[in-house]
Amino acid sequence: MQLSTKHLLGIKYITREDIQLILDTATQFKEVINRPIKKVPSLRDVTVANLFFENSTRTRISFELAEKRLSADTVNFSASSSSVKKGETLLDTVNNILSMKVDMVVMRHPAPGAHVFLSHHIDANIINAGDGTHEHPTQALLDAYSMREAVGDLEGKNIAIFGDILHSRVALSNIFCLRKLGANVRVCGPPTLIPRHIESLGVSVSYDVKKTLQWCDVANVLRIQLERQDVKYFPSLREYTQHFGINKHLLDSLKKDIVIMHPGPINRGVELTSDVADSKQSIILQQVENGVAVRMAVLYLLAEQRQV
Amino acid sequence: MILLKQVKIIDPNSPHNGKVVDVLIQRGKIVKISKRITNKKAESWKLDNAYLSPGFMDIGTQVGDPGFEHKEDLSSATAAAAAGGFTAIACTPNTHPVVDAKAEVLYIRNYAQDSLVDLYPIGAVSKDCKGKEITEIYDMQKAGAVAFSDGHHSIDNSGLMMRSLLYVKPFNGVIINQPLDPDTSHGGEMHEGAVSTSLGMKGIPALAEELMLQRDLYLLEYTNSRLHVANVSCSNSVHLIRQAKKNGLQVTASVNPMNFIFDDTALTGFDTHLKVMPPLREKEDIKALKKGLKDGTIDSICSNHTPEDEEGKKLEFVYAKPGVIALETTLATCRTYLEKTLTIEELVIKLAIAPRQLLGLDMPVIAEGNEANLCLFNPDKEWILCEKDLHSKSRNTPFMGKQLKGKVLATFNNGKASKQF
Repeated sequence: MQLSTKHLLGIKYITREDIQLILDTATQFKEVINRPIKKVPSLRDVTVANLFFENSTRTRISFELAEKRLSADTVNFSASSSSVKKGETLLDTVNNILSMKVDMVVMRHPAPGAHVFLSHHIDANIINAGDGTHEHPTQALLDAYSMREAVGDLEGKNIAIFGDILHSRVALSNIFCLRKLGANVRVCGPPTLIPRHIESLGVSVSYDVKKTLQWCDVANVLRIQLERQDVKYFPSLREYTQHFGINKHLLDSLKKDIVIMHPGPINRGVELTSDVADSKQSIILQQVENGVAVRMAVLYLLAEQRQV
Repeated sequence: MILLKQVKIIDPNSPHNGKVVDVLIQRGKIVKISKRITNKKAESWKLDNAYLSPGFMDIGTQVGDPGFEHKEDLSSATAAAAAGGFTAIACTPNTHPVVDAKAEVLYIRNYAQDSLVDLYPIGAVSKDCKGKEITEIYDMQKAGAVAFSDGHHSIDNSGLMMRSLLYVKPFNGVIINQPLDPDTSHGGEMHEGAVSTSLGMKGIPALAEELMLQRDLYLLEYTNSRLHVANVSCSNSVHLIRQAKKNGLQVTASVNPMNFIFDDTALTGFDTHLKVMPPLREKEDIKALKKGLKDGTIDSICSNHTPEDEEGKKLEFVYAKPGVIALETTLATCRTYLEKTLTIEELVIKLAIAPRQLLGLDMPVIAEGNEANLCLFNPDKEWILCEKDLHSKSRNTPFMGKQLKGKVLATFNNGKASKQF
């Protein structure tokens, strides 16, 4: 089995079969990273450049570990230490790095579609590690993987996404991924943080946290991204927490146990209280562990595309 | 001396309209129009399926000069206009410095003296097009400005809009505004809809255009002045303008080809050559724009010619500048995409007659003894746009390498001719 694409630009651009292949391959790599020797030689002839034009800690580390465990050579680049500040264009920066014989590019960039733009101009395989408010495909894949581990096949399952949907690439990629896998998706948050046309993506909308929690099997709670808000979409964190925050009391009042997820980093006491984040229902740390396995699967499957 | 053999006249103001005739042009004048003319001294042009209309006029061309000469200057802009059948362009004030005083108006007027293409400056409504202080409008009008507008900056300040509408009344002037409410469109890069949602991009809702247009129409009613709405893009705007005309307001409107050719689904590949302002809307909007063109709600078609260099376009979508060059392709894109909407005569009205009418300029008429202000074209010729067809300094067009229908063959004006065959 092979992927239908040579890049991972977004979940939008891959098929349900691609998603399933990645998740199944990730299962094998999860087994690998739990061995005493966590390393396989699959990518030993491959050089990967991690280009981060936007800050990242966990995604960058997760990719780097995935690359190292596949024995790839890696180089890291981050915007703060780069020539971007000197006015170099994205295309020039990337072409300069590729001239040094790099095979794959993992990139995070603030502009939606930056990876699609790049894919029209370069040959290397491109993995999107987040492009502005557009997509974050590996996050959606690791979320789907973790959900599958927690609740089984996602076909017909009810998944709710809470919080800032307007500024969230995680929400968008999650929606594409979950819809392709046959899950029902509902988004919930204040109306100013929900895109007006979101229903066109096949999801339902609710402004009622309790009812949505009652409806869902899994709650994926997003981070309130104050850094992406250029105007005020809600008056204060205090009010947000009171009306849209999820706390233990709310969870205990439900008639069932639901799974709690969060892509991190958590604003503790804002979208989630600590007793929820650290509860048994939370699989937040499993998500992080699965992230490495899923990224190994993506790197491995795309590298395979190269050799043919 | 040029003898045009067997050309079909398309000019509703001409006694020869609809007839196939020979036309003799000498020293910039139409000296004879007749069924058959023989003149051995004249250079005879016998071209297939040739149509002759008054030269086109574009309202709202970005000429880039002064200030942005690396993208376009008056010489390349007029060459591009002539190649596209335009014998007159009214240029937006968004140059550097802005056309907000007599001196800048005269700079453009002076260049026009030797040009095939008549250049009409549009003066800024506010200093530096910043939307605050009103400019010396009377002074600019006397120097030759034909209308007043802040160009691609929408006039956001309602007080300023009201005062400018009032201020131009003594000379029956026209205020041009491209409506877009800055608050509800804040940060948007494309039309707000299912496509922008799926691309994770901030949208510019149709509402942003409608809100400001609605306000402009209220102010127009209040001031009883004249307004031209530039680059209409939404279905509801067409509806509002139709209603306003019915109510007797002195309002005219234009549309540019990008907005009736492409809808927002064309942007799924993040092609920056399709990044334009106003943004590409939806299929329903295109339908409404075409209907508005047909029933006269939309008076004219403008090119919205906006030159941008590669540095402004070969970028991530959100960083790329909006706009396309269009002077050379307007006739062809209209013929290709409006063939079922407008007859050739209706198209000539939108391109040549209405723009001059709404600005109150002299109307060129195809008749013996008149100045030769003409566009010669083949409305059905199929051709592929390539590098050599472009006279603009910029290359930002989505039609490069694409097949189009309808080609300009020659343009005549001010005793000059530009030949494209």
